[in-house]
Amino acid sequence: MRNATYVKMALNMLLHSKLRSWLTIIGIVIGVGAVVGIISLGDSMEAQVQSSLADMDLTKITITPGYSGAQSRMPGPGGGGSGSDSSSTDSELTDDDVDALQGIDGVLYIDTQISGSEEVDYAGETATLSIAGVDPQVWQYMNTLEVESGRLLEPADNNVAVIGSSVATEIFDQEIGVNQVITVNDKSVRVVGVLEEEGGSEDRKVYMPLDSAVDLIEDAEEDVFDSIVVKVEDEDLVDPTIEEIEERLMISRQIHQEKDRDFSVSSSLSMAESVTEMTSSMTLFLGAIAAVSLLVGAVGIANTMFTSVLEKTKEIGTMKAIGAKNRDILLIFIVNSAMVGFVGGVFGVMLGGFVSTLFPYMGITLMKGAGSSSSSLSPDLMVFGLGLAILIGVVSGAVPAYRASKLKPVDALRYE
Amino acid sequence: MLMEIADTLRTKLDPRKTLNSLRGDADSSNSLTGSGPGYDSGNDPRNDSEPELHKERTDNSDTIKSSRNGKAPLIKLTDVWKIYQMGEVEFAALKGIDLEIYEGEFVVVLGPSGSGKSTLMNLLGCLDVPSQGTVSLNSRDISRMEESELAQIRGQMIGFIFQSFNLIPTLNTLENVTLPLEFQEEEPSRARERAEYLLDVVGLSDKHKNLPSQLSGGQRQRVAIARSLAVDPPVLLADEPTGNLDSKTGDYILEFLDELRRKEGKTIIIVTHDLTPVQYATRVVHIKDGEIEKIEEVEGNYCKL
Repeated sequence: MRNATYVKMALNMLLHSKLRSWLTIIGIVIGVGAVVGIISLGDSMEAQVQSSLADMDLTKITITPGYSGAQSRMPGPGGGGSGSDSSSTDSELTDDDVDALQGIDGVLYIDTQISGSEEVDYAGETATLSIAGVDPQVWQYMNTLEVESGRLLEPADNNVAVIGSSVATEIFDQEIGVNQVITVNDKSVRVVGVLEEEGGSEDRKVYMPLDSAVDLIEDAEEDVFDSIVVKVEDEDLVDPTIEEIEERLMISRQIHQEKDRDFSVSSSLSMAESVTEMTSSMTLFLGAIAAVSLLVGAVGIANTMFTSVLEKTKEIGTMKAIGAKNRDILLIFIVNSAMVGFVGGVFGVMLGGFVSTLFPYMGITLMKGAGSSSSSLSPDLMVFGLGLAILIGVVSGAVPAYRASKLKPVDALRYE
Repeated sequence: MLMEIADTLRTKLDPRKTLNSLRGDADSSNSLTGSGPGYDSGNDPRNDSEPELHKERTDNSDTIKSSRNGKAPLIKLTDVWKIYQMGEVEFAALKGIDLEIYEGEFVVVLGPSGSGKSTLMNLLGCLDVPSQGTVSLNSRDISRMEESELAQIRGQMIGFIFQSFNLIPTLNTLENVTLPLEFQEEEPSRARERAEYLLDVVGLSDKHKNLPSQLSGGQRQRVAIARSLAVDPPVLLADEPTGNLDSKTGDYILEFLDELRRKEGKTIIIVTHDLTPVQYATRVVHIKDGEIEKIEEVEGNYCKL
């Protein structure tokens, strides 16, 4: 029998199949849709991570007070460290620590930062914003922030601020421009620069010179920092530098045992790695759940095929009587079940595409709003989805088809 | 070989006339009898019954290989047993059957239900193999063949006609008739041509696109006959072909089969418990309790019409 004939016969079976078969197809549609949708979501999440990593400065190392094994691996977002941690631990970072870090090979700049949340007043409105006190000597060289208007902080600055784009345009009804004056903790601060939109929490920050910030932020003390940020020359130097920093601080802080350690060193590089890792493991996890639904769909196909073989027993007998070989029957049924898979796959890929475009609207944007990477299906993924569906059709149809092919013509003809 | 006949016929006759000529007397339809390359009118005498020879053959089948004008039998059963295992008990459906069927015969296997005639039909149609003894078709022993070989032989040698027609319900008339040719990997255009011709012959040229469910019983059986003729097999094996038809339609079908035997030289085997087909038979095999009770020769049957 020719291949075209198998396809013709199988198609005929499919077209004349009952509602039951179409319900089976729905099982595959959902399974494939879920898998394709989740993989596509994972892809777009990864693309988002990649794009934000591209913006990120991977040569920064951040030292924060307090230590726990997990914290050093998974620091909070924002890289600057959260200031509230320092109050919960006894340890603090001081000038001595900065001194200890001087002279490490490959280190370009060392920035000292404090941070806190304070009330900011502007034009009669009040909002609580996070204030970062940074070293104006080096800050402008250490970050990738760009100004929308005005300028970054400069060494001689005092009582001035650079604000994020949300602070300027969204938080207050009235837009804040360069040279406007805002009030932080009842003190007037002049805005010298507005940053470009970055996406995420960075946009809601107010940056000030360290000396001015110490006066404004409660609990802040002179020469005590919430974090020390070190910028190295090259990404490759990050790991050795981290080791060097840890060693030096252990000595300068006179810590002899790992368990007594009271500071953490993290890098944006390790953070980036762990975020990527997390995204992919999340995709894998969701994909595994989707795979279960696909498995259920496969069982459904197998079930329907068994019933169909039973139903067509007499036809199988007739076909054998008029010259069909076992192989012919086998292939007709396998092609039929592959077609069921194919149809399920087509609709499944469509469903998957639909679902993955819906995700962003459901607020599932893992990374900061840089969701510009549209989560449309890639052709590869479509082919993968279709191939998977066909494979599942063939695999789950194999046993019923084999059974059909092995029916004895005499018995099959007698079947009513 | 029927293809050539098809072409001859198509040019000469419209379907209705074709049918009439097939049913009419031999002289008026010489286009059918004369143009088949494999068909030699000189073979006609072999259709004549030769009582003595037959008697001898049944007595001692081994020595009479050269009966029927020196032709070897088309189908030959030698001491065939078919034993079914029913739980603990063994049940012999056939108990040592010896039977030879020659080309161009119209054999009716007659027996009540439970006589083993269906089992016999399965063996004659290569649908099953005997538990013991040999079945040979065209001098080939099929008794120990694999299913795929049997399928090949069935597909080429035997046209099946069933009591309940057994058309594939989801295929239309034309596709049903084409199906056996597709199993034989006939070229699609030729297969289609052949199927169209055969539907012409059975008078259903206007029903190509109908599904079996849209046809009457008689029409369905005509489609089934067309299908059985698709690969131009030498043997047509019919299992109660008129069982589901009224007597008038049944007679028509039987006459049609008889015409096929006489004009095309087909070997017709009908397995039935009904006496109606007997009037067309050249030989009637009575079977009872798994054994051949007697074989009746019917003389000059073909002249009767």
